[in-house]
Amino acid sequence: MARVLAVLTSLLRGLLQAAFIVVLTFFLCRVMPGDVVDVLGLEGGLTEDQQQELRRNLGLDLPLPLQFANWVSQAATGDFGRSIRFDRPVGEMLATALPVTAHLAALSFCFGVGLALLLAVAATARPSRWLDGAIDAVNTWSIAVPTFCAGVAAILVFSIWLGWLPVIGGLLVPVLVIGTDNAGQIVKSLREELREAVMLPHVRTARAKGLSPWRIAFAHVLPAAMPIMLALSGLVLGGLVAGSLTMEVLFALPGLGSLTLNAIHGRDYPIILAAVTLIAVALVAINTIVDVLHRLIDPRLA
Amino acid sequence: MRPILDIADLDITIAGRSVVRDLSLTIAPGETVALIGESGSGKSMTAAAIMGLLPPGARIGDRARLRFDGELLAPQDEAAMRPLRGRAMSMVFQDPMSCLNPFMTVAGQVDEALRRLGGEAAAPRRARLIELLSMVELADPEMIARRYPHELSGGQQQRVMLAMALAARPRLLIADEPTSALDATVQAEILALLKSLQRAHGNALLFITHDLAAAAELAHRIVVMQAGRVVERGPTATILRDPSEDYTRRLVSTRRLLASPPPGSPPKPDTEPVLASVGLVHDYPAKRLFSRPFRSLHGVSLSIAPGETLGVLGESGSGKSTMARLAIGLARPTGGSVRLFGTEIAGLSRLDRSLRRRCQIIFQNPYGALNPRLTIEAAMREPLELLGLSGAGDRARITGALEDVRIGPEHLSRYPHQLSGGQRQRVCIARALLSEPELLICDEVVSALDATVQMQVVAMLKALQAKRGFAMMFVGHDIEIVRWVSDRIAVMHRGLIVEEGPATAIVEAPGEPYTRKLMASMPQRDLVVGVSPVGRDRLKHDPAVSPFANRWDSLSSLP
Repeated sequence: MARVLAVLTSLLRGLLQAAFIVVLTFFLCRVMPGDVVDVLGLEGGLTEDQQQELRRNLGLDLPLPLQFANWVSQAATGDFGRSIRFDRPVGEMLATALPVTAHLAALSFCFGVGLALLLAVAATARPSRWLDGAIDAVNTWSIAVPTFCAGVAAILVFSIWLGWLPVIGGLLVPVLVIGTDNAGQIVKSLREELREAVMLPHVRTARAKGLSPWRIAFAHVLPAAMPIMLALSGLVLGGLVAGSLTMEVLFALPGLGSLTLNAIHGRDYPIILAAVTLIAVALVAINTIVDVLHRLIDPRLA
Repeated sequence: MRPILDIADLDITIAGRSVVRDLSLTIAPGETVALIGESGSGKSMTAAAIMGLLPPGARIGDRARLRFDGELLAPQDEAAMRPLRGRAMSMVFQDPMSCLNPFMTVAGQVDEALRRLGGEAAAPRRARLIELLSMVELADPEMIARRYPHELSGGQQQRVMLAMALAARPRLLIADEPTSALDATVQAEILALLKSLQRAHGNALLFITHDLAAAAELAHRIVVMQAGRVVERGPTATILRDPSEDYTRRLVSTRRLLASPPPGSPPKPDTEPVLASVGLVHDYPAKRLFSRPFRSLHGVSLSIAPGETLGVLGESGSGKSTMARLAIGLARPTGGSVRLFGTEIAGLSRLDRSLRRRCQIIFQNPYGALNPRLTIEAAMREPLELLGLSGAGDRARITGALEDVRIGPEHLSRYPHQLSGGQRQRVCIARALLSEPELLICDEVVSALDATVQMQVVAMLKALQAKRGFAMMFVGHDIEIVRWVSDRIAVMHRGLIVEEGPATAIVEAPGEPYTRKLMASMPQRDLVVGVSPVGRDRLKHDPAVSPFANRWDSLSSLP
């Protein structure tokens, strides 16, 4: 009961944060100089009168709080409106973009965390200078090389010099680039955590019981490192949503990132708001899942 | 009879530093050998070497020969040691809380040890598990089996550790300080259990401890270690009665100090008390929404007269440290009143300088109480500056204060890690006394120190009190030390003072059942130490009771 309550409390807190983000985004969009009609006007050569007419039709002449209330009441029923520039339902556009991003994020996450775990576990099981060197290299790489630089370099190497891969549409290169970056963010902490975990008194007890190395690793060492592992994974997943933005633009993937970026350029308010809401809710969901898993692993938190 | 364990010429070095030198040791089947020594003497390393559990970086010398039941051991060879661990030999450790896996139920952890023995199906294993848990005298083993370690008390945790270690009916059990993290009453229970289990199973026991009294209770033979070497060995009675080495003599006689009354003048109880609390209540805030706060004190009233020492005795969790913190305004009470030198401080968020100067506190852990980045001089200067007492004569004052605790001026520029635990605690005392307080709160000040050092520090504290005349609240769990230091004793249990009175009366004629249980938990102190005049008289008049009976008079006169 107390467990459920604690999870609900953290969920509620997360949702409040998400709501705050959405409110902030709504008003920030409107503070930016130039609105969607200005942009359309420049592109399509609309007259001043036509622009006023358009604003009235879109409801942009109403007071901001009223506009926000309208948006919220519609969004609450699941209707995020229509894209102003493309004149398509926002829901439909998100539905086509989301799978691309989800695919990219999931693959990058699995590759990144897998690589980090592999390196950290190997370095703990068989300490060697080579593995520690590899961990340092991945870590330094992710600090020093931004993903967009690595992305450009990867395009140069794989597609132009080697001519191996299609530059556009292929997920392999962006997954490699983002995954390595993610691995670098967590591998060092994971290694340190495991280094300490194998020295824990209860692991010594397990050795004194004569358990096999595998049993010790999976039943005694890894659970002790899991809380950190989870917290780091949550951070990485959160960062992925933002990180995929540049990769999608760079590799011309039609995902949530590209969609949002274009919408911001064109001041396509309904899309911006819907995308931000989606991202905020996803982050809250990630945090809540991490929290629940943490409580499941560690009985002391109940 | 062939010894179950035979160690010859064991050397252990860690990073080039020698921690165990030329250690030789044998244990016969069914025998209990106590390995005694203070922290850093290499006793735990010896145990780890036998099990092959030395930390990385530790190396065993080439000459070392370890034989288990005649077979040569290869402690550095993990693959060779693993079949022996948990089968032929097993081990229990010092701190049962951290030595049990917090992520696994008791059943899961004991079952791991059983499954490793192989062969049995789930149902008989389960039956054996319950049998093991009841063997270590755990009430309601079915329920204990379902619990996680953090849901058990320290004593229950150590019993589970024992059940796990005995799962395979090992021929050698190594117990590395199995009771030192536990409360006195629990210590006595675990020692008794170890003894009866050994009698039932006939396993050999290597008992590692720093507590001479515990060793005396359990061991057939005692091996004394100092700085990595064995300095003395022999049958328990001989070692206690007739220690031949200087170090052993010091170890055996260290608590003799407690037999003679401390220096100092009796307090003046008719004057206004320096500290008076009435109906003190304290809650720790609720950890979660909607849960109830934890009440650590349920209305505690006590007072300390100028120059008087009030001992506060209690087990962990009894609220004695909370009491100490409330007494000088480091925490705020939920209800009740605290009057410090006549000023009500219960509602104050912080004490003003003049009050703060008059009362000081010393904590348990001298390692944590000194900032590792400050030299001793800087650490000593801090309170002077904070209390506005700083001036031209600072350095002289600091040297003088350190002189009082016998720390020379050459230590001024050193850092805490360059000092021993006892030296650090003495620096803490000197620092607390710099402002010439009228009330000194000592919260378990000696419990983290080795036995011989404990006595030095306590004696020093008492001598300083005799000289300066400050009042003291001495919080502790070591009955003899608290009794020696205190004029009056208050016994705390679950946030309440269950009994209060003159120190001698409380220890010798306890009225409350809880106090009586607490006093009874002293492990054979009257045999080893001879503090209790009751026990001493009994022994003096009946030489048959103990071979050391006729030595009391000569021992009491030791410095």
